Amino acid sequence: MSDTTNTNSSGSISTTRRRSSRPRKPKKNMIPIGLAVALVFVIIGILLAQRSAMLGFFWMTGIAFGFVLQRARFCFTASMRDPYLTGGTSLTRAVLIAFALTTIGFAAIKYGYFAKGLPIPGMSYVVPISLATIVGAFMFGIGMVIAGGCASGTLMRVGEGFMMQVLALVFFVVGSLWGAHDFEFWKYFFISKGKAVFLPDVFGWTGAVFVQLLLIAVLYVVALKWEQKKSNE
Amino acid sequence: MDGLKAVLNKLRDNEVYKQWFKNPLTYVMGAVLLSILQIATLAVTGNPWGVSGVFANWGAWIFEALGGSVDKWYYFSSAGAQNTLQQGFLNHTGSMRNLGIIVGALFATLMASQFKIKKIKNKKQIIAAIFGGLLMGYGARIGFGCNIGALYSGISSLSLSGWIFGLAMFFGAMVGSKLLVKFFM
Amino acid sequence: MKEVVIDSLGEACPIPLVKAQNAMKEMEIGDVLIVQIDHSCAMKNLPEWARKEGHNVEIEEVDDAEWEVIIEKAK
Repeated sequence: MSDTTNTNSSGSISTTRRRSSRPRKPKKNMIPIGLAVALVFVIIGILLAQRSAMLGFFWMTGIAFGFVLQRARFCFTASMRDPYLTGGTSLTRAVLIAFALTTIGFAAIKYGYFAKGLPIPGMSYVVPISLATIVGAFMFGIGMVIAGGCASGTLMRVGEGFMMQVLALVFFVVGSLWGAHDFEFWKYFFISKGKAVFLPDVFGWTGAVFVQLLLIAVLYVVALKWEQKKSNE
Repeated sequence: MDGLKAVLNKLRDNEVYKQWFKNPLTYVMGAVLLSILQIATLAVTGNPWGVSGVFANWGAWIFEALGGSVDKWYYFSSAGAQNTLQQGFLNHTGSMRNLGIIVGALFATLMASQFKIKKIKNKKQIIAAIFGGLLMGYGARIGFGCNIGALYSGISSLSLSGWIFGLAMFFGAMVGSKLLVKFFM
Repeated sequence: MKEVVIDSLGEACPIPLVKAQNAMKEMEIGDVLIVQIDHSCAMKNLPEWARKEGHNVEIEEVDDAEWEVIIEKAK
């Protein structure tokens, strides 16, 4: 509370002057609990790996995904919401970088299988496009902004101790069950009439990667220009 | 004990430690690390990363534990889906990964000494969490996934569906932002 | 010289940022805005936005997982 009036007209805040409204408290050191958690998850990982190697792999990569998401405050919700709401696009651009890098890696793996005449992995993620895609994505977009986190973001925030996201997760599960219940309707009327488009089938392998990276690059530039424009308003 | 405490406090305040465990990584660094994990996931498991499909199974297990049955539901009618349900939670790889995300975030927060239970502040947050959760759950089922499975993994798998999903989701986020500012702020 | 305090404790992204943006519009150059937050993402995006706008920013961790973002309006 020391000095709240600023007599310095140059407008620069010196780092020595603290203007916090509250006195500083000594902070807890949670590293021991963190290390204990690490010990427990490593043991669980070993036990799961003995059951099946895949269970152990999923468990450990899940922890790595959660760690990275939290450490970088990586938020897919913000990447979609902030351009419109706050004018910021730094997360949008980071997500585009992730898309570009992962596209290259995925295409390499997929092409490797294709070239050997083997079934291409991950093709279950190339799904039919129909009205259900658009309605579902639109609903999801509204939901994630209101609930303050998408699927991965909700899980990450549960780990950080947010009770609101615990509640959101419960209703995410309820909503999923509801969607699964109604799935037959959507499948019959819309999804079954939709078409799945795998870009290499249209443009060839090189062409598909090229077209996609070009589109990502264009979006990146648009996002950058958008942020500059919003910042000058 | 005091000696150990001093060492831990010294560790906490160490600049190199802070870089790795306390100060946020840049978004670009996050993007690079997530991409590496994604590529490793496809290479090892034959499928990209997905999150929300698992929640339908969680719902089904809870529903069955409460006495319901999903055996007649089209969504769970395939042999694969039935098998997953019968194998149970602890044998379900996707469930382990989702639990892992929670534990990984908890671990990261603890190592930064920033864990705190954040209570729900008001009724608006309860309503937002309920409606937001329901919309996400339902939307993800009919749209074949969330922003991980349908968007990130979809686009990276060179599927046009990922781009369409992203476009529709962008407009959803715009409407969501309007609602948020109007009703939940 | 005015000092404005926004209590955004318990509020999720993007509410702290939107509130700060709105408050900033009403403020004069040299005024100080203090935003109290406990949302770990706001602790990154709020200072990022303020720095981009050219304001002077300080972040202080006042308690476990509670921060005060102190922004001095510079333009």
